[in-house]
Amino acid sequence: MAINEELSLKLQAYADGELSEREAREVADLLAKDTDARALVEELKNTCSALAGFEAEIKLPESREFYWSKIEREIRRLETSRTSRPEPSVFAAWRRFLVPAGALAVLVLAGFLIFPLLHGPHMAESAESEFTLPDSEAFTYHDYANGTTLVWLSYPAENEFADKDSEDTLD
Amino acid sequence: MSEIAHSAADDEPLVRAAQRGDMTAFEELVARHRDKIFARAYSMMRNEEDAIDLSQEAWVKAWQRLKQFQRESSFSTWMTRIVINLCLDQLRRQKRQRAESIEAMDEESGGVERQMPVVTVNPTERLERAELRARIDRALNQLSEAHRTVLVLHEFEQMEYKLIAKTMGCSIGTVMSRLFYARRKMAVLLAELKKQD
Repeated sequence: MAINEELSLKLQAYADGELSEREAREVADLLAKDTDARALVEELKNTCSALAGFEAEIKLPESREFYWSKIEREIRRLETSRTSRPEPSVFAAWRRFLVPAGALAVLVLAGFLIFPLLHGPHMAESAESEFTLPDSEAFTYHDYANGTTLVWLSYPAENEFADKDSEDTLD
Repeated sequence: MSEIAHSAADDEPLVRAAQRGDMTAFEELVARHRDKIFARAYSMMRNEEDAIDLSQEAWVKAWQRLKQFQRESSFSTWMTRIVINLCLDQLRRQKRQRAESIEAMDEESGGVERQMPVVTVNPTERLERAELRARIDRALNQLSEAHRTVLVLHEFEQMEYKLIAKTMGCSIGTVMSRLFYARRKMAVLLAELKKQD
């Protein structure tokens, strides 16, 4: 009988005692009449018995003292680093809470103060504004979108006082 | 010097003392079980240096978690599980570094082993123990990490399929498949080594 993958795994489970009683009986019946299945189970068992006791012969290649000294050193190092860390005080715990909370409160407050300045009612109507000082040639232009402010000052001044001053000086 | 086999009952007073912080008692436990813990790490890692480091790390972890040891198993079994988990973590890290996944380890090679003819003659028959050990050593080196791990957990740790699946984080089907191919490959490798000799 050809042994497919499913049967192979079932034969292995049989050899490992992992089948239910009913399944184990079915496999035992099959093994009684199928030499290939029997040979496979035999091979699996041979491998298992070859490996038995293998690990017991592996020995640590270091002396007891040397091996332990490294473990002990590491344990003591970890314990020292743990005990040298100071216990967090109540004040420190509060500070851990207050610092971020305070920073958040400042940000919120700043937001409340700055927002109306940037997005006040006059801003909703226009993103640009112009302003001219009376009795002067000074003129300001502000573009809120680009954050640009331009100031024009006429030179020489074109107002009447300036003209007079200029004439006086030239004389 | 051979390690004396200690029963769980022998360990019990030492474990209790160690749990109370007695480091001398803990050192005695280390001395009793160091070979076994090292051997398990070596079987999985196949590298002496890694096995020493990981076994020592396991002892340090054990000391830190000693109070959590509830005696549901023997101290030796508890220790072995710690070192197995450390080895599995290390193997996963190594796999990640090689940009591979431990979950997908070497399933592809399984088909080849399945088609190989059954080894009808026991290749280890009438071998001296030292020779057999050398052959198994070489054969284990040639197995993939996934195959070797499942073989170690089943054959050396005597874990059932279900527990291996839980430990390795895979399905029982994967465990069965890996174990089967590991054993077949092992049988073939041992037979080949016999021919070479």
